[in-house]
Amino acid sequence: MKAHSTEPHAEGLSPRVIELSAILWPSFLVAGLATMVFFAFIDPHELNLISFPSVEFSRELGYSIGFFLLWLSTAAASYLTALLLRKNVLRKQVLSKGSPP
Amino acid sequence: VIDMQAQAQTSAATRGKVIASQLVETTSMYVSAAKIYPREIEGRYQRLRVIAAWVLMALFYLMPWLNLGSEQALLFDLPKRQFHVLGLNFWPQDFIFLAGILLVLAFSLFFFTALAGRLWCGYACPQTVWTEVFLALERITEGNRLQRIKLDRAPWSWDKLRRKTLKQLSWIILAAWTGISFVGFFSPIRELVPNLLRLNAGGWELFWIGFYGFATYGNAGYLREQVCKYMCPYARFQSAMFDNDTLIISYDTSRGEPRGPGKNRRVALAADKANHGSSEALGDCIDCTMCVQVCPTGIDIRDGLQIDCIACGTCIDACDRVMAKVGSPLGLIRYSTENAIAGRPSRMMRPRIIIYGALLLTILTALALGLIARKPLLVDVLRDRNALYRTLGDGTIENSYTLKITNKSADARRFVITLIAPEAIRLLGRSDAGSLSVRVAARATQAVPVTVHGDASNLGAHTRIRFAVHDRAAPETARTEESWFFAPEEHSDEH
Repeated sequence: MKAHSTEPHAEGLSPRVIELSAILWPSFLVAGLATMVFFAFIDPHELNLISFPSVEFSRELGYSIGFFLLWLSTAAASYLTALLLRKNVLRKQVLSKGSPP
Repeated sequence: VIDMQAQAQTSAATRGKVIASQLVETTSMYVSAAKIYPREIEGRYQRLRVIAAWVLMALFYLMPWLNLGSEQALLFDLPKRQFHVLGLNFWPQDFIFLAGILLVLAFSLFFFTALAGRLWCGYACPQTVWTEVFLALERITEGNRLQRIKLDRAPWSWDKLRRKTLKQLSWIILAAWTGISFVGFFSPIRELVPNLLRLNAGGWELFWIGFYGFATYGNAGYLREQVCKYMCPYARFQSAMFDNDTLIISYDTSRGEPRGPGKNRRVALAADKANHGSSEALGDCIDCTMCVQVCPTGIDIRDGLQIDCIACGTCIDACDRVMAKVGSPLGLIRYSTENAIAGRPSRMMRPRIIIYGALLLTILTALALGLIARKPLLVDVLRDRNALYRTLGDGTIENSYTLKITNKSADARRFVITLIAPEAIRLLGRSDAGSLSVRVAARATQAVPVTVHGDASNLGAHTRIRFAVHDRAAPETARTEESWFFAPEEHSDEH
């Protein structure tokens, strides 16, 4: 009976796509929150003045760069976590296949 | 005879089950890449969801167009770093309110999840609501569930091309409008839309319209329930907020099982009558699989509470209709608690509800009090960075400061600066000694250079001083900020 409920949907996305979504989406949410908190305290205009005063950034550009940098960082952390978990699972599988501990 | 009947019934039930699962599995073969075609259904929970969706969509699409006076009522003006919320004006210095609102949102989620499960997922989550809206467009252009399945199976034809094009067109228009509305919360929409029509919009505005529009199109049009199943973190930590008294959508196993399709159920009833309540009788579930067909995440609620269940209540509505049709009592699938299903009493007031509720009330009260006590005036005192002090020709010690005065109100104000300090220290005023008057435009910050003189012989190395600033027209709007007055060390040694 369970067959018709789960099987048709179980293979909806490939494991790679699932992993990628699980990396990108939560890191997107956290980056959004972090951007909000960060720029509540820091004015991108002042960041511009202390970093590259010769180039003029608009605040919108500052917010956007900030968001994508944070997203890159959070996604990188999520990716590494996913990678480590993947390796661990592999090792467990190898161990359980009978190699002595 | 009874034994034979029971046997016949069992084998019929088994055959029935095989047929049922085959039917659905054949359907699943049509479904390339396991696309879910939720069946449309009407019922009380669906009506609630439709109302919730309309209210939320109206809020989202109309809110940016609502004006209060000449200003957009809700505008998070990022370029100017000011938030306008229904006549209130927030500055970066008001971050505490943003933090408070985030806390309120978090605790509301905890509170309502503990109380009634995934209300958020079923009724309010943008992912669910936009998926429903995109599904509605799909229904209008491609037809109902069966028609959609057929259409996807059918080879390309003019009709298929027309329907698919119409669907894509309606999706893209809605997604683009969603992106524009989203950006309209951050950039005045009454300027944004005309600028877009004149092909004159800013690059970043265009970028974010595209980004948000594309995310809506992909998430609501294609990813749909996959977001809830594989991407949403909330689904994973909800169990921390659930307990045995939380309202969940549950299938009454003791009433429904053993399940069996309609025909066999009649046989079973006959057997039951003959048997005077034999244990071979079937339960109320006729195994029509309607609850599975309507499920937007494609689960079988009869397997018990699952992480994939977004608590939308479609299966309740579907099952109730079937129960009404076959003449069984409604509520085989219903909102209930683990305790209630197990026949134990449910409690609504329990420690986690009280704690979440109390925290929520406390933060809300603090926020309200903070808003009432909020003054439309902000003062920051910055000391001159280059020198602690200067000694003038006559031996007077001079300290320089910059006062940053922010006027949050909607009109220009004149502020009076006075110095509260020992007698030897005085503020250099423009007119009368000891005070300084400055005009600050509406919703602006004015940097005011301030010079303070001190009589060195009467002062220590550092003296605490305070700058008091008040609104000349409304003296109750006042702030006092502390700073230091520095003098040469040797003078302090002498005294």
